[in-house]
Amino acid sequence: VQPPEKPLQPEEWNKLREDLQLPEMFEEVMLNSMIRCNSPIDVAKSLLSDLAKRNGDIAYNVLVKYLTLCVQQGQVSEIRDVYDIMKARFKVLEGGAYNLLIRGLSNSDQWKMALTLLEEIKKIMVPSRTCYESCVKAASRHQEMKLAFELYKEMLAKDVVPTLDVLQSFFDFSRGLKGAELQKELFGILFYLRENQIYPHKTFMRSIKLWFESIPGENWRGRLTKIKDSGQCPVCNHQLEDSKLTGEEYSKLSERIISDVIHGTDTFRKTSPKEFEAFQTFVEKRLPFDIVIDGLNVSHIKSRKMQCENLLDAVNCLAKENARLLVLGRKHMLVNSSNWKREIMKEMQNKADFFFAENISEDDAFLLYATLRSGEHCRFVSRDFLRDHKACLSNSLTRHLFRKWQRGHQISKPKCFSSVFSQQPAFCYDCVVQTTGDTWHIPYKDVFEEKYSYQVPRKWLCIQQK
Amino acid sequence: MQSANMLLRKIVRSSVLPFAAQHRMKKDLFPLSRTLSFSLCLKQDKSCEPSEKLDLDEWKKVMKSGLQEEVSETVSEPKELSGLAAARETVEMWRLAGKAVPESISEEQLKTFMECPSKSAKKKYLKYLYLKEFHKKNYKRKMDEKRQRRLEAQDEASKTDETKKSPFLCFWSSTMDKAYNWRAAQSMIFGQPLVFDMSYEKEMSVREVTNTVSQIVLSESCNRRSVDPFHIHFCNFKDDSLYHREFVKSYREAWSKLLITVTDQCYTEIFPKDKLIYLTADSPKVMKTFDHDKIYILGSMVDKSIKTGVSLARAKRLGLETAALPLEKYLLWSSGAKNLTLDQMMHILLTLKDTADWKKALEFVPKRKYCDFVNKPVKELRKTLDLINTLKFEKGREEVEKQFAKNYPKKYKLK
Repeated sequence: VQPPEKPLQPEEWNKLREDLQLPEMFEEVMLNSMIRCNSPIDVAKSLLSDLAKRNGDIAYNVLVKYLTLCVQQGQVSEIRDVYDIMKARFKVLEGGAYNLLIRGLSNSDQWKMALTLLEEIKKIMVPSRTCYESCVKAASRHQEMKLAFELYKEMLAKDVVPTLDVLQSFFDFSRGLKGAELQKELFGILFYLRENQIYPHKTFMRSIKLWFESIPGENWRGRLTKIKDSGQCPVCNHQLEDSKLTGEEYSKLSERIISDVIHGTDTFRKTSPKEFEAFQTFVEKRLPFDIVIDGLNVSHIKSRKMQCENLLDAVNCLAKENARLLVLGRKHMLVNSSNWKREIMKEMQNKADFFFAENISEDDAFLLYATLRSGEHCRFVSRDFLRDHKACLSNSLTRHLFRKWQRGHQISKPKCFSSVFSQQPAFCYDCVVQTTGDTWHIPYKDVFEEKYSYQVPRKWLCIQQK
Repeated sequence: MQSANMLLRKIVRSSVLPFAAQHRMKKDLFPLSRTLSFSLCLKQDKSCEPSEKLDLDEWKKVMKSGLQEEVSETVSEPKELSGLAAARETVEMWRLAGKAVPESISEEQLKTFMECPSKSAKKKYLKYLYLKEFHKKNYKRKMDEKRQRRLEAQDEASKTDETKKSPFLCFWSSTMDKAYNWRAAQSMIFGQPLVFDMSYEKEMSVREVTNTVSQIVLSESCNRRSVDPFHIHFCNFKDDSLYHREFVKSYREAWSKLLITVTDQCYTEIFPKDKLIYLTADSPKVMKTFDHDKIYILGSMVDKSIKTGVSLARAKRLGLETAALPLEKYLLWSSGAKNLTLDQMMHILLTLKDTADWKKALEFVPKRKYCDFVNKPVKELRKTLDLINTLKFEKGREEVEKQFAKNYPKKYKLK
């Protein structure tokens, strides 16, 4: 439907209404297309006037549509009028209308009213994150940083996750401002990024950089860089935090893996208590391992080769480095078949320890257990992302720990296959926002959306104080 | 005046522009159209002013004027709303905003609504109620229409007033019921047992339990109607469990008269272990034939949140044999999970029991889940498919070579 370009007379609306043959939906359809085409507000007004004259009332959803149009065009006085009418007509409003009202008002010079509206919402429900976003942005735009931070903290307290936009606006609007309190709050945001393993995108990173450089009298300087594989920053020669978990974190993670991933609701789902016990005693006897290999996963690396050959290649190449290996597999690998030759299996068993799980058991769970049990130095080889095991962990904190540990300990593409795959080593440094007081290192994403959760950015912002 | 104006507009819109487009150069068109519409605008304004000017804010006056009385009414009401009333108000506003919300909502439903942990859960619950209400209304409307038609038919019949004579007695459904019950009673003595494992209550949400029970009710009824019914056992059945309450809700008085065995014992306590086979889609073993001496176990569980391996774990714990239906072998699977509903399983098992015909039995698998039946095992099919592909490829290669030879005669040869 093409909305008219000018306000129409009631007769003309009538005619259009008849043409469309949708008597009940007409206003909605018309207003929707007006929103799409960003029609002049007077056209919508004439439609509403016609409607009011016909029915003596205007339905709530039509009012909301009109409000959308007003907000889209920033017609502040209209927004206020609509709000007055809605407020008088209905006892409470629903979230959609509040979102629109707050968005519309916060962008205007009447932004204080958005704050009173926010208070009003809080009486009946938890405000949405867009509501908070608009209010925080409005407050920081008007340099009321204290208020903005109060709202931000309230948001976190209510488990409303702030968008990166909100966080960025803090840095944008505090540029050039001085104050120890403010600086502390902004550092707080950087710590929030660190704790939740959030990576800022390029524009956000730029805002951070500019803010640091704008602090009067502190002489910060930011440079974009790439961190060496050794974990050293080429700009300031500072060694980044290593990816080791603390002792406490480590034991917490192993505990959770055993209880959530291996046992879960029912030990029989992934293994059986008898099998798990047998595995535990097996591992305890031969501890510690240096590398644990997911046999079945590795055996599928090259589809042209026999599965046991693939595994043999991997074992040979890893055994050269004089490491203690553990290969996890399933019992069917022991049965002589076209893919699993008995002689080759024998040969491998001389070079590495093998544990064969039942055919219907999950070998990944054993992989995690054996690696964790062997200690911090132990790595594991698998191309599996282990997402389903991560999902079994019951709280987000342990999931973060798991991902961090995984980054540091998983070798997904072993060296020996470098002809086919590029090598992706386990990182020896931790890829999070970090500081030493006079330096900050902030990893950032080149693109706006991080595509895969397992990928970590390779680009960094190095900020140091001179 | 105004109609003349309209007419003018119409003429301008419909004929002048294309006319202009035809007769002028393209680059001249834009200035022309602009001046045209501009002058039109001027004209319209002039024509409007004397007769009637549009009052664009008139709607506000209307909205505000209608409110005066209402406002005075609402003043007396207490301003702070209690929890339930506030929830009711929110639901009402959502309805006005055009979301899928039921028209009437009971106190109990409202409480469930408030207990929903998140906004999306709330929306989902309301949508469920909305659809339920919608179906109920539709059903009621249809029944009313039917009643109307019946009354009309009766009127006509009474007019003709003709006594019908039939050599047969009218076969009432109660007679049928008696016959079915007789068969079911026989099955309780001589029939092959079929076990429903009722130990999954903890694994399910309330909605899932309700769905499970309705599936079991369906399976029970199709079992009763079959030629040679199973002897149904509900094992691990706890009195006063959620299952129990739901069964009583749907069967009412008939619950105590059902010709099935209900027990809180486990199947391993009733039957010898070596005769039991647990049917689960996760089983590594595939069922080849239906064994009339075995006792099959179905897990009474609706699993909407993808908990794989729950029933397999149960069988493993008790050391029972497991089996899965040979879906892959007979069907070209397209989409959907391999776990079937309980009534589908019942249909399949009953058909297998009577005919031992897999094709016939697997017709009860929903059509959306598979593309077609395969007569040969899939492996062979795949082989022929590969063969066809290679043939095609080779044929294609030949053609390419021919083409090549045509374009570059004799000079080059494609290796």
